Amino acid sequence: MTPLALPRRLRTPLARLTLRQRFYVIAIILLIPALALRTFTAFYPFIQTAYLSLHKYNPAFDHNGPVFTGLNNFQRIANDPVVRASIGYTLLFVVAATFLQLTLGLAVAHLLNAPFRLKALSRTLVLIPWAIPMVIAALGFRWMFDDQFGMIPDLLRRGLGVQMKWLIDPYNAKLAVISVAVWKSTPFVALVLLAGLQGISQDLYEAAKVDGATRFTSLRFITIPMLMPLLITTGMFMVVWQLAVFDLPFLMTGGGPGFSTTVIAQKIYLESNSLNYGYAASIGMVLVGIVAVVGAIGLWLFRRFDVSE
Amino acid sequence: MSTNVVSRPCEYTATAAVRPNFLQRHGQSILLYVCFAIFAVVVLAPFYFIFVSSITPSNELFEVPPRYWPSAPTADSYNRMMDAVPFFTYFRNSLIFAIGSSALSVIAAGMAAYALARIKFPGSNIIYLVLILSVALPQIAVLVPMFETLKTFKMISTHHGLIILMSSLVLPYTIMTLVSFIKQIPAEIEEAAYIDGANTAQIILRVVLPLVRPALFTMFLINFIISWNELLYPLVFTHNVDTKTLSVGLTELTDPGSTYTKPWDMMSAMSVFMIIPVLLIILFGQRMIISGLSRGALKG
Repeated sequence: MTPLALPRRLRTPLARLTLRQRFYVIAIILLIPALALRTFTAFYPFIQTAYLSLHKYNPAFDHNGPVFTGLNNFQRIANDPVVRASIGYTLLFVVAATFLQLTLGLAVAHLLNAPFRLKALSRTLVLIPWAIPMVIAALGFRWMFDDQFGMIPDLLRRGLGVQMKWLIDPYNAKLAVISVAVWKSTPFVALVLLAGLQGISQDLYEAAKVDGATRFTSLRFITIPMLMPLLITTGMFMVVWQLAVFDLPFLMTGGGPGFSTTVIAQKIYLESNSLNYGYAASIGMVLVGIVAVVGAIGLWLFRRFDVSE
Repeated sequence: MSTNVVSRPCEYTATAAVRPNFLQRHGQSILLYVCFAIFAVVVLAPFYFIFVSSITPSNELFEVPPRYWPSAPTADSYNRMMDAVPFFTYFRNSLIFAIGSSALSVIAAGMAAYALARIKFPGSNIIYLVLILSVALPQIAVLVPMFETLKTFKMISTHHGLIILMSSLVLPYTIMTLVSFIKQIPAEIEEAAYIDGANTAQIILRVVLPLVRPALFTMFLINFIISWNELLYPLVFTHNVDTKTLSVGLTELTDPGSTYTKPWDMMSAMSVFMIIPVLLIILFGQRMIISGLSRGALKG
């Protein structure tokens, strides 16, 4: 007897359920691949990281597995000058880069929104820095900032008479890395803000014009308040994403000179490469903690501005 | 206050009477074009320098002051780069990695997004929130256990291991964008299909899929670019030529002769080749990519 010959309602176990139950089953089946992927690469590793952060574990020496050491790793972090320096630079990097990306992004968004002939071209151009690999941006700018053979110091010297050493000076290196992050991600911010700008009704600007508003007052009292929720979400996204920045400083300066441009992510990478798994995991937990605090501040800001709107 | 109101009409008539000069008539568009020129130069300058470095003979590359155009353009760097790295193997690996990751992420995210956008079931909001918020978990923070897990499953230096990691990384963002897209499609179309007797599989495959196909394709392109550019996962989880991607190859391309100077000529040549696929995608998919990028963020 072939399965086809069975009564229709008995053919699948699904058919015996009520309509509502059937929907639950379908929803769960549809969600399985996504949840499995996230569990495998995010939720489970996160729990493991939390566990390892309380242990001393170096697979080269600790053959019996992780040794529980309580908060030892975190005490070590508090006294580790490199970790403290890397937290400092990461925060500076994130705050400065995000601020510049939002400000310049708003300016570029206005350019993209302006009615002129090169509109289509400008919208292709704006995708380029977002789309090219960070690897190439970091290495290319490292070459361009080179003290002897680089184009940027040469152009600054010829054009403005500025003599600056970039990547071998601790302060200028910090600046150079931030400027590449701004170059790379401002276009993305601009695209998002462009969509926001297009959502603002033109009537508001016309009404303001009739009332004698200048460009600046329209920007100050219409555009920015209308975009505020979007500015906060975009800013939060950039902050959270850039807190984990790794490839840019890693390839552009290698974290140097000294440890002046070492970020938290690179410190984690270094410690995992030296097989200090427990210590690397605890620095990872510190990074997660910073992200959580910043994220909470962002949510609070968003609520405040969303309600007042 | 009142004087202000009275004086304004007078100002208008005064300016209207005088014929505006050239700068007044075209000032705004001149300003626009100047801004556009600055913007274009800032965006394109690095590519110009990378390209010029790739066709400059290496002895001219290390001159002070730097040259802005070689005396005799040459493809020499490209030839030496091909000898120094297994370029085509890396290129193939990058393609497998990027196509695999974007395909898997779009399929998994599409299924999840349909369930989250259309089916009402207890806990759906919490699942959505957890999936989306997990984007904030830095990939590098959980690197160590991830390495151990992959080792257990024998997935170090395998294509499928990398693809699983990468597709999961872009998943939250993809789900968010697709949920917002599916919610915009009127549910009446699916309801009509139900009344006509279609089952769920038929509705998803015959009704919903054609409607969301543009969105799925957009996310495929975006995720392809993101995976093509990814460094950290291939850097940490690949240890042989058969799985290393272009981004890893580029970072490993160091001069055997000296430890300080990097072979900028070969690096530039490799960069040019690595940029080409991405450039083609944004030239042809520009409109879709822009809509995809802004949609996800607007709904966030």
